[in-house]
Amino acid sequence: MDAVEYFEVECTEETGGNYYRRIADVVLLDHNLLRVIRKLHIFIDPEVPIFIAVGVTKKLPGIVRLRDFAEVMATDQKITISIGDETYLAPLLQILWERYGKENVSQPDRFTIVLPGDVSESGDLEDIPVFDPSESIYKDLIYALLVIQPEGFKVRRQWYGKEKFYLVASEDTLPEDIEELVREKFALMGERL
Amino acid sequence: MNLVPVTYKGGIYRHDEIIDLIEDLGGYIIQKHILAQEVVLQALVPKEDIALIAAIAKPLTGEITPSPLVGTEIAVVTMSLEIHHLPHASCDVAEYIRRFGAKTNMVGLARGFGKRIAQMNDEERDVINEHDLAVYLLGDFETCIKQKFQVLRRGIDVPIVVCGGPSRETLRRIIEPPVDGYVGNVGRFMHRTKESEELAKLDEVVEEITRVLDRKREEIAKDPPSVSPARLMDIITTQVEEIHEVLSPTPITVQMQGLRVKLPYDTFARVVRDISIEEGITIGEIADIIPSRMRDYILIRIRPFSETNIMV
Repeated sequence: MDAVEYFEVECTEETGGNYYRRIADVVLLDHNLLRVIRKLHIFIDPEVPIFIAVGVTKKLPGIVRLRDFAEVMATDQKITISIGDETYLAPLLQILWERYGKENVSQPDRFTIVLPGDVSESGDLEDIPVFDPSESIYKDLIYALLVIQPEGFKVRRQWYGKEKFYLVASEDTLPEDIEELVREKFALMGERL
Repeated sequence: MNLVPVTYKGGIYRHDEIIDLIEDLGGYIIQKHILAQEVVLQALVPKEDIALIAAIAKPLTGEITPSPLVGTEIAVVTMSLEIHHLPHASCDVAEYIRRFGAKTNMVGLARGFGKRIAQMNDEERDVINEHDLAVYLLGDFETCIKQKFQVLRRGIDVPIVVCGGPSRETLRRIIEPPVDGYVGNVGRFMHRTKESEELAKLDEVVEEITRVLDRKREEIAKDPPSVSPARLMDIITTQVEEIHEVLSPTPITVQMQGLRVKLPYDTFARVVRDISIEEGITIGEIADIIPSRMRDYILIRIRPFSETNIMV
C-alpha cells in the first residue's frame, strides 16, 4: 500500500493539533481510506471556530459497466445475463427494474437474470453503467471527515470532484470568502482548487 | 467499627461461606457478580478482619484486594453520545472506574458538544447531582474547555473531576473557579486504550477520583450520616420483598450518603419510609425519601447526625 504523500494538521493550539493528527490518522485507517488519499491538509482554529480539511485523492477506479462483471447471451426468445461478481447485483437489478419493469425481469437463481427477447438490443445492455465507485469513496471520505471534525461544528460546506475534495465546518455561519481560505490551504500542498 | 471497601475474587465453590463470614463480622455485601465459575464480591468489611477473611479464603483460592471506590456512585459525563466520544474515550473511562468498585453511570448530554453552543438542561443537572462525584470528559482544545465548562458546571454541587486534552497545569489555569480534581491528556481520542501508558493515564483518573472521594469521606466523617448507607441497604433488602424481583445488577445502589432504590417511587416511597430500623426509628425519620430523576426510582438521602441527633 502506498503511503500518503502529504499529511499535515495545522492548528493554533499545539497540543490539540497533535491529538487531532492522531484522531485523523486512526479514523482514516479505520474507514480504510488511507489507500485512496494522496494529500490531506487539516486546519483547525478553535478560537474562530473553524475546521477545514482539503485533500487530493489518488486515481480512482472507473465506472463499472455490466460487461465488467457479467456475460450477456441473447437469443430470439430471451436474454440471459450470467453474473460473475455478485457485488454489483443489487444496483444492476435496480437499473433493470426501472428500465424494463419488474414483471419482465426474472431471476431464476442468484447468478442468472432473464429478460424477454424483445425488450432491448443486447449490445447496448453490456454498456450500462452500473456502479460509480468514486461516488461512494467520496461519500465515505466526507463521512470520515465528519467523524474527525470537532463534534459541535454543525454548519458545514463540502465539495468533491476531479480528484479533490474539501470540507469546511464551524459552529457559526461560514464567512462568504471561505473559498479563498480553502484555496490557500490547497496552495500549501502545492495544488490548485 | 471501621468498614473498608474491598473486592473479593474467588471460585464459586463454597463462596457462600465467605458471604456468611463477611456478614457475621458485621460487613456488608454491596454487589455480587457470578461469572461462569468465578464470583466477584464488592463488600465493606471491618478493617481489622481483612487478614482473617484472607486466611479463610486462601484454601478456596480466593483473593481479597482493597478497592477504594466500592460504595460510591459516579457520573461519567460525556459531551454527547455520538461516535466522536463513544466508545472511546467515554466507555473506556467508565469501564475502568468500575473495576475499582464504583458504580458508574454514563450521562450523555443532549447538547454538550461545541464551544458557544454547549448547554446543559435541568434534568441532566439534577441527574448529575444525584451522584457522589462527576467525572467530566472534555475535548482537546483549551479555548473550548475554558468557554464551555462554565456552562456545564452551572448548578452542579457534587465534586467534579475534569479530564481533558490539555495538560493538568493548563486545565488548572483555565478553569476558574477551581474544581476538585484535574486529569490532563485524557481528551478526545478515537482508539482503544490498551497501551501501557494509556492505561497509566486511566490509573491517574482513578487516583484523582480516589483522592477527591477520600477528601469527601473525611468531610462526611466530621458529621456522619445517621445510619450507614450499607446497613440501610441491608435493612431494605430484608424487609422489602419486591426488591428481589428487580432485574437491575444493583437493585439498591449504595452511595456515600444515601441509596438509590430501583423501585417505583409512587408505590414504594411510603413502604420504605415506614420501615423500622431499630427501636421504633423509621427510615423516614432519619432520611429524606425523594423521587429520583433517573426513571421512577427512589432516592434516599440520609440526614447527618447533627440534624437528627439519632445514630443507629
